[in-house]
Amino acid sequence: MDLGPLPQLVVSGILTGLLFALISVGLTLIFGVMDVVNFAHGEFLMLAMYLTFGLALVGLNPIFALPFVALAAFVLGAIVYRLLIRRLLDGPPSTVVFGTFGLLVFLQGAAQYFFTSDYRSVPNPPFQGTLHLGNVALGEAQLIAGLGALVMTALVFAFVEFTEPGRALRALSEDRVAAQLMGIDVQRMNALAFGLGTACVGAAGALLMLTYPAFPRVGTEFALTAFVVVALGGFGSVQGALLGAILVGLVEVLGGFYISPALKLIPVYALYLVVVLLRPQGLLGRR
Amino acid sequence: MTPRSHGLALGIVVVALAALALGYHNAFVLNLVFVGLIYAVLGQSWNWISGYAGQISFGHALFFGCGAYASALFGVHHGSPWLALPAGALVAAALALAVGFPCFGLRGHYFSIATIAVAAIAEIAVNNIGALGKANGFEMPILAPSLASLQFDDKGQYVLMALVLFAIAQIGTITLERSRLGYYLRAIRANQEAAASVGVDARAAKLATFAAGAALAALAGSLYAQQTLYVGPEDTLALPISIAIALVGVVGGLSTVWGPALGALVYVALARYGGAVLGGQGHGLDLLLYGGLILVIVSWRPDGLAGIGGSIRRFVRRRSAETPA
Amino acid sequence: MNAAAPFLEVRGLSKRFGSLRALDGINLDVPHGGLTALIGPNGAGKTTAFNCISGALRPSEGSIRFEGHEIAGAPYHRVARLGVVRTYQVVQPFAEMTVLDAVTVGALLHHPRVSEARAFAGETIEALGLGSKRDTIARSLTIADKKRLELARALATEPQLLLLDEVMAGLTPTECAAAVELLRGLVAREITIVMVEHVMEVLMPLADHVVVLATGKIIFDGKPRDAVNDPAVIDAYLGRP
Repeated sequence: MDLGPLPQLVVSGILTGLLFALISVGLTLIFGVMDVVNFAHGEFLMLAMYLTFGLALVGLNPIFALPFVALAAFVLGAIVYRLLIRRLLDGPPSTVVFGTFGLLVFLQGAAQYFFTSDYRSVPNPPFQGTLHLGNVALGEAQLIAGLGALVMTALVFAFVEFTEPGRALRALSEDRVAAQLMGIDVQRMNALAFGLGTACVGAAGALLMLTYPAFPRVGTEFALTAFVVVALGGFGSVQGALLGAILVGLVEVLGGFYISPALKLIPVYALYLVVVLLRPQGLLGRR
Repeated sequence: MTPRSHGLALGIVVVALAALALGYHNAFVLNLVFVGLIYAVLGQSWNWISGYAGQISFGHALFFGCGAYASALFGVHHGSPWLALPAGALVAAALALAVGFPCFGLRGHYFSIATIAVAAIAEIAVNNIGALGKANGFEMPILAPSLASLQFDDKGQYVLMALVLFAIAQIGTITLERSRLGYYLRAIRANQEAAASVGVDARAAKLATFAAGAALAALAGSLYAQQTLYVGPEDTLALPISIAIALVGVVGGLSTVWGPALGALVYVALARYGGAVLGGQGHGLDLLLYGGLILVIVSWRPDGLAGIGGSIRRFVRRRSAETPA
Repeated sequence: MNAAAPFLEVRGLSKRFGSLRALDGINLDVPHGGLTALIGPNGAGKTTAFNCISGALRPSEGSIRFEGHEIAGAPYHRVARLGVVRTYQVVQPFAEMTVLDAVTVGALLHHPRVSEARAFAGETIEALGLGSKRDTIARSLTIADKKRLELARALATEPQLLLLDEVMAGLTPTECAAAVELLRGLVAREITIVMVEHVMEVLMPLADHVVVLATGKIIFDGKPRDAVNDPAVIDAYLGRP
């Protein structure tokens, strides 16, 4: 039976979805632990991409840059939490929304001012070969980005599931009050979650530079996709985010091929509206 | 401020700007005033839903675009621009109801993200639909200047039209604050469940506010299209426009009569030095400053510039009360 | 409206939270006029019953008919419009609003004109002895005044059936006595009251009718003086020896 381009599209969709997963896990982690929808999430991705680009200029392969970028993103996230987010949590819920929104505008403006609106790609990008598996052809860079994202997502998942701080994070997202009574230091854990969530987009930014250019507004599109993924998976659910991301990756790639590349995001956003209408708790969530 | 002092302030602003529009023929300045008024109206329409009704929209450009595209389509197909105004407003209000109805029952972020998603869908669709001009948009035909064609040879007359719309937006807000709906919205923001317990239908109140705000934004879009005679997705529907509208609303102060006007004033002043207004990509300094301003305001003064103004007024009053006459 | 329909008729009302049965098939009739006391030990399901009747919670099973209208699962605000209005055990004021504005929100239900609603709210506040605090921000009121505000807000909707959830808790004896007088006044105005209260003594002289809930079931339904002698009621309050 000839499936035509379908296997190629499915593999490509899954690889795209894995990158979405890493970005979305960061978003959902922050939401789960401190009930904050970080509208500046995409801007941290954008900063990570510029940092990777800068390191590539001095000759560092994005794959080797990844640990440094992720670490820098973690530190940045923790600092932003301490300086800004913590202050906003005391106000009404809208304060956090406007605060992270202001951060989005600030970081985008800063990138535009300091880096200009030009598109920046890694010079002499590595992994330019193509792998052939049956009749599926895969760009090495795309494959490495997707698998790298899978490894990073798995690491985050393992951290949250199997380590002591991870358990504290989960306790916080399940029942804040009880977690506080058990003596969990909420401020520390919030900073950890925000740092970790930002580190996820840090790693994703490094991987994304293998196949994608950096520019000031690059984060918006990915953040929007991540919002869709997180709503799909249920706000706060790491497993849900992984599942939702692969689904969104498939929808985007298949929609791009069978409908039109220019319209590929319409089914993704429409999916969000359908989920909100019919299953607001997400695919895996319980009401 | 009482309704009377709001009305007095509005009268002074309108008279001053009308005098400017009629007496000062500097096209550059008048254009800036026009854009400032359009943003003040957009910010106010956003303030109704995101300030007074507490549902934060990041897709407000959608409604601005409804009006702009209605005017463009009527212009290109030789319809009266005066019919474009209600047509755009109706479409915008219908879209607002369609988004608000499923989302207002859920927690706030579902709504905020839905507004981004719907505006993004509209932008992509417009970019790909021939009848809507695709990415190139529409050049509207130039007609003989008259009130009937809503085209003028003098920039000042566009400013006068924008002033009328601005006055409607301000009077609407002053009325809203004192109306049954205004009481209901305040009660909902304070405690939605307790409001429901005394018979307040929160969803209906928010839907009415959202639809009215969307219609107002569409009117601003129509007027904007009549002045530029060009309508394209980049400068009416794109996310940066939605962001700019929200900026104007937050910086000036949420749920205040004069916040959006103050925000628009700061926005136009900054954009004047920071690059382009409405759609163009500036060099980013304006966004940098604006974002920084929001961060400062949100972490120190959530009530925005209008709130700071209120504090100054109280301070001055206290000082003058202490000073023996 | 069917003239023969009972005022409030609850049949087989159940509410489950997960595996917990907060209400377990209760039947309840409240006649028009007078004051019904709904009492019972902590966790008996009194507030859950109020939440279901007022529309704050959707019952798991059962029917609630008010003047012939089925209101089980109806939206909260619609139940209020029919004339069933409640107060909260833990006060839920509109924290940033003044007393007059907050009560005006209630008054607007049947006085759509703001000026009339404000006038009516002003009268309601006066009648409840909050007149001197009409321009005070709700958040800065004392607990007793917050409770009064909440009652004023509910009364301003001109309810037919008022559900009062522990309005007396936390009041001093003098304040309690004033509240009792106030309730007598309401009953005289033909407002039917169902009142949840922890302390039986406060209610006994007032109530025409007593319903006792324990662990989600009604264990007594009758005259106040019979309630105090009923073995099941005594058991529920004192526990089996």
